[in-house]
Amino acid sequence: MITIKGLSKRFDQQLVLDNINLEIKKGELLVILGESGSGKSVLLQHLMGLLKPDQGSIAIDGQDITKMKEWQLLKMRKNIGYLFQEGALYDFMTVFENVAFPLVEHTQLKRKDIKDKVKRVLKTVGLEEAGNKFPSELSGGMKKRAALARAIVLDSKILFCDEPTSGLDPIKSRSISFLIKKISSELHCTTVVTSHDIRNSFRIADQVILIKEGKVVGSGTPRVLQDSQDAFIQEFLS
Amino acid sequence: MKTFFSALLNFVVGTGEALFFFGDVCVHLLKGKIRWGEVLKQIYEQGVQSVIIIALTSFATGAVLALQGYVMLNRFGAKENVAQLVALSLVRELSPVFSSFIFSGKAGARIAAELGTMKVSDQVTATRTLGVDPVEFLVVPRILACFMVLPGLVVFSELIGILGGYTIGVFDANIQSSAYIHQTIRAINFVDFFSGFIKTLFFAAIIGWVCCYQGFQTKGGSLGVGQYTTKAVAFSYIMVVLFNAVLTKIILTFWG
Repeated sequence: MITIKGLSKRFDQQLVLDNINLEIKKGELLVILGESGSGKSVLLQHLMGLLKPDQGSIAIDGQDITKMKEWQLLKMRKNIGYLFQEGALYDFMTVFENVAFPLVEHTQLKRKDIKDKVKRVLKTVGLEEAGNKFPSELSGGMKKRAALARAIVLDSKILFCDEPTSGLDPIKSRSISFLIKKISSELHCTTVVTSHDIRNSFRIADQVILIKEGKVVGSGTPRVLQDSQDAFIQEFLS
Repeated sequence: MKTFFSALLNFVVGTGEALFFFGDVCVHLLKGKIRWGEVLKQIYEQGVQSVIIIALTSFATGAVLALQGYVMLNRFGAKENVAQLVALSLVRELSPVFSSFIFSGKAGARIAAELGTMKVSDQVTATRTLGVDPVEFLVVPRILACFMVLPGLVVFSELIGILGGYTIGVFDANIQSSAYIHQTIRAINFVDFFSGFIKTLFFAAIIGWVCCYQGFQTKGGSLGVGQYTTKAVAFSYIMVVLFNAVLTKIILTFWG
């Protein structure tokens, strides 16, 4: 369970997150919707402990991560998968090496077991043939799949995805959205996705929140949000 | 006035951050958190690829020293001393400084550009999200490799430079080969070699530190990578020149 209380963040004079309160239940798939620059990615970076808030707390399974030191955060992050908007794969490693990296770093698995595990995960994301390729040889969609494979290879119980469909065509967007949903269900992991892709978000989300200028202006199931009479929500969803 | 104080504040903060970064690297080294596989890879990338350019410039430097030295020394009837001039100049001063410049322009720029590209494409942050310390994974092996490669390159540069001087001395100035070799060996004592070598260790640490730090500071996409790489090389040059002056004074005070 992830609990966010009174989270605020300011960059120079600009208030990017304004008193965010949120509870994400275990196994839930939450989509954070909002316009570009609304603070979605900043919120996700706070959940990962990559940024420190000015005010408020974030508790993951009861532990306040805003008070943790970097070495404690490094330890905690082993249990969380994070998918970057552009993938952020190591460009000096092949896809296989990228996916194997967390296993090499954090497990005592033998080389053969690592190979089997990586092959299995690559198959899950539909990249079983791309293991020997370098990230520069992959398309945008393939890069995101490879990055997703790296994010889930340790069987993390929490998965954060930053704009997984941005820059992809509608078919690939749909495909990656369903892949995230499938992985989330199979691994029973708590998943938080930031997006401005309304259609695909509503297809996969258990819960949705809508952020405007750093504030939560709407929350609930996709159905609740669709039925909302709030003018901004209606405008955003239309 | 406000701009001056703002610039001064930026300088102080920047220097503090850079020193803190170096301290972080030292802590990792002291804890023995070293990825030797990565270090070997970096040694190959920084070292082997710098060998040819160092060899060419060192040979030319030795040759030019011998040519100029011969013209001057010949006026005093002391052309045999060309060997001493070449050897001492190279070992005490020229090879450590020139090789550091070349190393900074080649390996240092590479380090800054690599890390800078990784920074702007979120690969450095991705390392943190994967539960791995980016300083341990990306910086420590690069700095350690600098520390191991540059001294070797400087010794290599000294030998090739002396060979360049020998070529001019023997084939152009008609100094006897055995006399040239004898003069060279007689010219260099341990202190001469040591004074150049100890400087090199400092220069290696400076280049590794400055280039890794600038790489990690990079922002602003591909334009930023270019700017910070240029900054890394320029700062390395300046720091090498300044430290060379200070170290030379210290070495001469203690060992003459």
